[in-house]
Amino acid sequence: MDELEAIKVTFFQECEELLADLEGGLLAMQEGAGDLETVNAVFRAVHSIKGGAGAFGLEPLVRFAHVFETLLDAVRSGSVPNTVELAAVLLRASDILADHVSAARGLGDVDMGASAAMAAELETWTDPNAAPAAHAPVVEEAAPVAAAPAPVVADDDAMDDDDLGFVFVPQTITVEAQAADAEPGNVWTVSIRPKSDLYRKANETALLLRELSRLGPIKATLDDSALPALGDLDPEAAFVTWSVRLETEEDESAIREVFEFVDGDCDLEITRGEGGVQDTMAALLTVAEAPAVIEAVETAPAPIIEISAPAPVAEVVEPVAPAPAPVVEAAKPAAAPAAATPKATPVEVPGPGQSVIRVDPERIDRLIDLVGELVINQAMLAQRVGEYGIAPSSNLAMGLDELEQLTREIQDSVMAIRAQPVKSVFQRMPRLVREVANMTSKQARLVMEGENTEVDKTVIERLSDPITHMLRNAIDHGLESPEERKAAGKNPEGVVRLAALHRSGRIVIEVSDDGKGINRERVFGIAVKKGLISPDLQLTDEEIDNLIFLPGFSTAEKISDVSGRGVGMDVVKRSVQALGGRISIASRPGQGSTFTLSLPLTLAVLDGMVVDVAGETLVVPLAAIVESLRPKPEEVRPLGPVGSVLAVRDSFVPLIDVGQALGYRDHSPAPTDGVVLLVEGEDGSRAALVADAIHGQRQVVIKSLEQNYQQVEGVAAATILGDGRVALILDVDATIAMRRRDGGTPRPTEPTLIAAE
Amino acid sequence: MAVAIALPENLDLKAAAPLKAAFLERRGAAITVEADQVRRLGGLCLQVLLAARKAWDQDGQAFSIKGPSEAFVETTRLFGAEGALLSAEFQGAES
Repeated sequence: MDELEAIKVTFFQECEELLADLEGGLLAMQEGAGDLETVNAVFRAVHSIKGGAGAFGLEPLVRFAHVFETLLDAVRSGSVPNTVELAAVLLRASDILADHVSAARGLGDVDMGASAAMAAELETWTDPNAAPAAHAPVVEEAAPVAAAPAPVVADDDAMDDDDLGFVFVPQTITVEAQAADAEPGNVWTVSIRPKSDLYRKANETALLLRELSRLGPIKATLDDSALPALGDLDPEAAFVTWSVRLETEEDESAIREVFEFVDGDCDLEITRGEGGVQDTMAALLTVAEAPAVIEAVETAPAPIIEISAPAPVAEVVEPVAPAPAPVVEAAKPAAAPAAATPKATPVEVPGPGQSVIRVDPERIDRLIDLVGELVINQAMLAQRVGEYGIAPSSNLAMGLDELEQLTREIQDSVMAIRAQPVKSVFQRMPRLVREVANMTSKQARLVMEGENTEVDKTVIERLSDPITHMLRNAIDHGLESPEERKAAGKNPEGVVRLAALHRSGRIVIEVSDDGKGINRERVFGIAVKKGLISPDLQLTDEEIDNLIFLPGFSTAEKISDVSGRGVGMDVVKRSVQALGGRISIASRPGQGSTFTLSLPLTLAVLDGMVVDVAGETLVVPLAAIVESLRPKPEEVRPLGPVGSVLAVRDSFVPLIDVGQALGYRDHSPAPTDGVVLLVEGEDGSRAALVADAIHGQRQVVIKSLEQNYQQVEGVAAATILGDGRVALILDVDATIAMRRRDGGTPRPTEPTLIAAE
Repeated sequence: MAVAIALPENLDLKAAAPLKAAFLERRGAAITVEADQVRRLGGLCLQVLLAARKAWDQDGQAFSIKGPSEAFVETTRLFGAEGALLSAEFQGAES
């Protein structure tokens, strides 16, 4: 079962990508850029989801995807015009399809009412005149009627990946004949064309037939006209097809269910009534009577399997994506001379992800760990060599330099493997904006920039929640209602901007709206009312803006579904901080607000300053350090009973002795004896950290303390230095916060004296 | 001179290629296919049997299936291949 689970996991991964492609294509269609290629891509996405879902028996998903696919097929064939309104409907349908996928995955539920309504709407679009449901499949099959050339039959089987819909032409005619007769009965004709994959996946036609026979008495008619001569027979390819007459009280879906497990690996046609058999046989007999043609065609395609099968990518994609199928199915009569079609198909199909290798992330993590070890090891080696006093110009030292460069390159490349465009997160946002805007009856347009900005996967995975929160917040609280906007002389449609960019070794995510901005009076009032601050506090505009990050703060007057449950922005802030990032807000009344998220590009390596504190080696993240300096006595001023501050240019910043903050020592030495690192916390607050000595800058590999030991306040993580010692990485923000909470460190006695000198 | 071929118990995907090879080796003489051991017959081996039957017919040699097991008869009927593979006595009733 594990294997099946694994395939299922891959399927859902694929679904994510397919849904993203789907949405991307539909958005393009909505903007009027939907050429045939886009429609095809959209169709393929839905079809692939359906195919994979069928293999796992995800019935509701398959059913909805089928209706969706039918409409898209009609759009593709031109029988339903491709309009902007249609694209809007399709977009909503894609949202519901995504819900179905999530539900199948066990995450969340589908609003079945909405799904059914959407299915009905899709059916109406497909064929405004027809009664829904039963007619849908007919549309699918009706197109190829004209395409009937016999050789196709022989050709198709070898091309096992292409379910050439038009092979079933005789049946199609029957369908129409049947419709004319309009004679409902409980006799069905099931046409089964197994593909080689069906057997390869250890499925078996005999089992299918046996399952069918459970529904009622069956009579299978076998067609071996495509079967090559014994000498030429590929024993593991499927050639024989069946037409089964089935008498049953069950309905079509019950018959379809039998084939659920082989969907995509077996072409299936179910028609009511029994006329089909004779017609089929007649048509096939004609084929059989022209053996020359068959031989010619069938010997040729055989090697094609060989060629197409070994492509490793195809293998990976295979279980979930019988994708190429529909393309051929859609082929208009013009494409009927079959031999040419299969060749054209692979060219047309290379969809997104074809040149992608799927790798278990754990393997990459392992690789990154190993490279980390390599970096540490290399640093150790360099240190040893240094200790032996080998001249820098010696061959050994030069070789070591090269090794260092190589190591660094390997590290960069490995990190690049894990880097992914933020697109995967951004893609989910248009839907969110649509939904939130609908719920709050606001008009919002999402503008996204920098989707291709790359960030480490570990960061990406945790970006989604904060961005979701911020966008919701921007629409719910930021944007005004269309009426208010009109009154303010703005476009009734608000714009929400989501941007990602690289800035000095960090990734910056900006969420901005052109709404009303933060109502500072109200924010202040609420904070006072909720007892978060005291009413007589004097705060700057910026400080007031930052009040919204306080736990338990919510400005929404009524609690809406969308946001305002009081768990909004403080949660965002905490999750961002957990990533080593910071969040800030800038707001201008009447013009909107901008939230800026700044995050490290990776959680695996860090540039840091190695310092000595009370005999311990610590690493201070370089990103936090503004400057380092040796304070002069006159710059250190006592403040209050215990604290002291450092005068830096025109301002004073609190002095924090790191050794004391972390509990390494009880009494701080004079700051003037040590080195001061001027650091900036994520909220922009500055502090001067006192250390004993600086060793220099180094790139260090982050080893999680939580995973290997436990969380320690003031310490972000650990690393291993070149000499093999473990060093702790200082959590600058926590250190500043600790000082604030504890009311500052006891002031050392000497500095006062020195200052007094 | 007639040759014989004994079908294995399990005629699934793995058995298809050896079965084909076995038939090719014995081509050119009348053949008796012993199907008494068969417990499972899959679509691929069915194809080989059908192709073999055609080949022997083409060669004008006799091709007979001897003492088919119940499973073989049942599955062959299920496949609708009784006409090609089974002698008249087994072609009887539908499954």
